[in-house]
Amino acid sequence: MTELSTLNSSKLDAYRAWSTTPIESRPRYSVVIPAYNEEWRIVPTIGAIATHMSSLGEPWELIVADDGSTDTTVELVDDLDLVNLTLLVAEKNGGKGSAVRRGMLAASGELILFADADQSTPIEQIESLVDQINAGHDVVVGSRAAAGAEVANKSLSRKIFSSGLGFIVRGLFRIPVADTQCGFKLFTADAADLLFRRQLVDEFSFDLEILYLAGKFGLSTAEVPVTWIDAPGSKVDAAKVAVEFIRDLAVIRWNDLRGRYESDNHQASAAG
Amino acid sequence: MDIITQENPTETTISLELRGRFDAHEADMFRAAVDQAIDNNNVQIRVDLANVEFVDSTALAELVRGMKRCREQRGDLVLVHPSDPVRVILELTKLDAAFDIV
Repeated sequence: MTELSTLNSSKLDAYRAWSTTPIESRPRYSVVIPAYNEEWRIVPTIGAIATHMSSLGEPWELIVADDGSTDTTVELVDDLDLVNLTLLVAEKNGGKGSAVRRGMLAASGELILFADADQSTPIEQIESLVDQINAGHDVVVGSRAAAGAEVANKSLSRKIFSSGLGFIVRGLFRIPVADTQCGFKLFTADAADLLFRRQLVDEFSFDLEILYLAGKFGLSTAEVPVTWIDAPGSKVDAAKVAVEFIRDLAVIRWNDLRGRYESDNHQASAAG
Repeated sequence: MDIITQENPTETTISLELRGRFDAHEADMFRAAVDQAIDNNNVQIRVDLANVEFVDSTALAELVRGMKRCREQRGDLVLVHPSDPVRVILELTKLDAAFDIV
């Protein structure tokens, strides 16, 4: 057998340094992966993300925010023994929104990305989102609906779900984002702190709430087309999520009318 | 994902050059290519992964399946020049110890 450790490249060297040497300065980037029963998908995703992010040449940290997984996700991630990976374990399943929030509020990077555990949006596309942050935006959304996006293997139910949601969101909620639900969003640290401390929705429509709040607080949001590959084994039940989504639209508006977004609802701690 | 097949007519060796993302969507195509090679007595399979940017767990399982089938026939499935992310994924899953990698 060939020892992989003898096969070196600059990318591999960067990965090996990141995987074994704790970063000493504030991370430029934090990558947050929410994970619920992802034992089949999480390790290859971590490998792809760790290789690419390490190659950027900036200090970065990886945060896996477990959401009360009942499979071996937590053990698998813990066993990787990557020194700059933080695993946040939840005792019970609280919803994707709760996992993302815990990860975002535990992150210490200057820029914080959350990315789905299935690598459906390949990590290499973070650079185009960073460009928009550098152009002055506070929140940058990976989009499957923006001009130039490439979408592969998307199911019909997801297409109907997405187009229907897009119509509702833009028409009734006046959120100028064509794709609110893509699991690939980048925030400045200040924007993440402001938004995720106030977040109240714990289910799939938390993205919508975050973007609604970004508009409410005058943050600048940009949308960047991405290549997106539908990963088999998606846990999204489009019909069920659509019902929850419409319900949560009303909840978000009601929360706002009641002034529930005027102050923090969560603290910046891993226990969130 | 594309698979470019290159046979050596004088030996039992075949090269499968994969390009793109190797995930569950591509597993059937890869399995068919491996099975066809073995059925044609090409039991030394070299899988070139230099241009594969990502492999998911289903793809890894297909590689293991192909390797086991080849070894049952006294051959092998060898991974050739895996890209950096694929190397890291092989390490993290500890499959680097199972495969011959050149």
